[in-house]
Amino acid sequence: MTLLRLPSATAPSRPAARTRTRRGRTERRPRVLVAVTALFFALLYLPIAVVTLFSFNSKKSLTVFGGFSLRWYRAFVHDDVLVSSLGASLRISLVAMSGSVVLGAALALGLVRCRTRLGSLAGLIMLVPLITPEIVTGVASMLLFKGVGVDLSTGTVMLAEITFSISYVTVILRSRIAALNPEVEEAAMDLGATRWQAVRLVTLPALLPAVLASAVLIFALVFDDFVLAYFTTGVDPQPLSVRIYSAIRFGVQPTINAVGTLMLAGSIALIALALFIPRLFGRRGGLDILSGE
Amino acid sequence: MALLRPFARTRRRGADGDRVWTWLMLPGTVWMTGFLIASLVLVAVLAVGTTDDLGNPRFGFDLSGVRALADPAYTEVLARSLGYAVLTCAVCLLIAYPVAYTIALYGGRYKHGLIAAIVVPFFANYLVRMYGWSVVLSDDGPVLRALRAVGLADGRTKILNTGVGVVAGLVYGFVVFMIIPLYAALERLDVSLIEAGRDLYGGPVRTFFFVTLPATRQGAAAGLVLVFLPAMGDFVSAQLMGGPDQIMIGNLIQDKFFQGQNWPLGSALTMLLMLVLLIGMFGYLRRTRKDEAEARR
Repeated sequence: MTLLRLPSATAPSRPAARTRTRRGRTERRPRVLVAVTALFFALLYLPIAVVTLFSFNSKKSLTVFGGFSLRWYRAFVHDDVLVSSLGASLRISLVAMSGSVVLGAALALGLVRCRTRLGSLAGLIMLVPLITPEIVTGVASMLLFKGVGVDLSTGTVMLAEITFSISYVTVILRSRIAALNPEVEEAAMDLGATRWQAVRLVTLPALLPAVLASAVLIFALVFDDFVLAYFTTGVDPQPLSVRIYSAIRFGVQPTINAVGTLMLAGSIALIALALFIPRLFGRRGGLDILSGE
Repeated sequence: MALLRPFARTRRRGADGDRVWTWLMLPGTVWMTGFLIASLVLVAVLAVGTTDDLGNPRFGFDLSGVRALADPAYTEVLARSLGYAVLTCAVCLLIAYPVAYTIALYGGRYKHGLIAAIVVPFFANYLVRMYGWSVVLSDDGPVLRALRAVGLADGRTKILNTGVGVVAGLVYGFVVFMIIPLYAALERLDVSLIEAGRDLYGGPVRTFFFVTLPATRQGAAAGLVLVFLPAMGDFVSAQLMGGPDQIMIGNLIQDKFFQGQNWPLGSALTMLLMLVLLIGMFGYLRRTRKDEAEARR
């Protein structure tokens, strides 16, 4: 049994039809529970709504809405520092995504199929980033780079983000690979394919939706990541998250509302996309990508 | 099929397979060992290191950083961080349980959509969300205004710059990690168990405490760990929601590496944080082992 048991959100063995009819007979929705849930949703979306609303404010206030304006978006586009940060964040996410998906997918394949002692050791190492808080990984990566005499830069952020993301890719893909029937690969080999060809031509295509979904998810996670980037970035250009952090620490800056709204919209779109990619390929979708096992 | 296959070939293929799988695992494992494991070791080594006159870290064996941890100034911060993290776990459980319960049992065909509506914004930018949350909880923000309107707060009540604000920030930041495992556990829960409890004359409260809660205990335990880990290491919430009296161990670590430039002490604090979390993880693992052993019997 795995370390953190996050069971699949779509457990197959639930007697759905029966529960529905029987519950209909015995209970109604308790009002208190529904009220708590509604309040929860309201508080969950309130901060997002506030940031979005005030990004369109014509005044420089966070409490008084003066009327609709695109003033802060214009300010963002003309802010060279923020724009170069956006570029840096995009580059970092792209590189971290490519690197970690390749390394993570290979690792996941190996972990599922390999029964040697090295395999279980690799499985343990893979878990370390998942149980280490980000501040620790951040401090550790910074010390490592400084220790070997590498100046912190966008490149060091990329390396650190790859390291951290491999585990996510592996966790997401591992359950998918385990669900594949290995005999299909065996069949391909009986038909004359080598092991590599079987992996490349049979297993990888079957994994494609999950690989794409994990790639999109990692892109969004890296783009939004703050702690690791904060510890491993150089001075210029800094990733967008780090810029936002310095900005909000020193008081109200409405431009940040505009940047924040764009980032929220972007990552919400990407994460929603990651959830529904499996559906595009005609598979049962979604949420289990977030829970892994 | 397996029977038809010549024995020699199967064996060769098995060995060949393991070699391929090992090669596939190798790059990722080497990468992670090189970056992650090595860097964690470096933190441990530096925790007993020294600094030269310019404040640059030097390797060595000097326990002053480790010994400084016993300073009341640091033990107080550690105790506060533990307190906030535990409180955050408790509040998250209290909020997440009814929400996950309602969605799992009464969500009907909307439940996947509802869970997605919770999960998706939670994975959006943490800083922007926390920043928005600090605006919502500010003195003129909607929450305090609503509380004042119903008479639960007066003009002097504050949330920001208090411990309540920090915990509210941590809860907002990480409650999703409680909802996902609880929802998964509740969705798998066989509703006929609850009905059996009712049939046996258990009231809703007794049925909940004797049937539902024990059946979802593992989901709750996983959620507690998943919330505790990031809450304990967080430094953004204390910075945005709290004042100088609410700093957590993460703020100390950040300070030692950026402003204070005392790397050995920063490393020692990082190791201390790791230690606390490992103890927490260990407790969780022992608990689940016991549960599994009991379930098997």
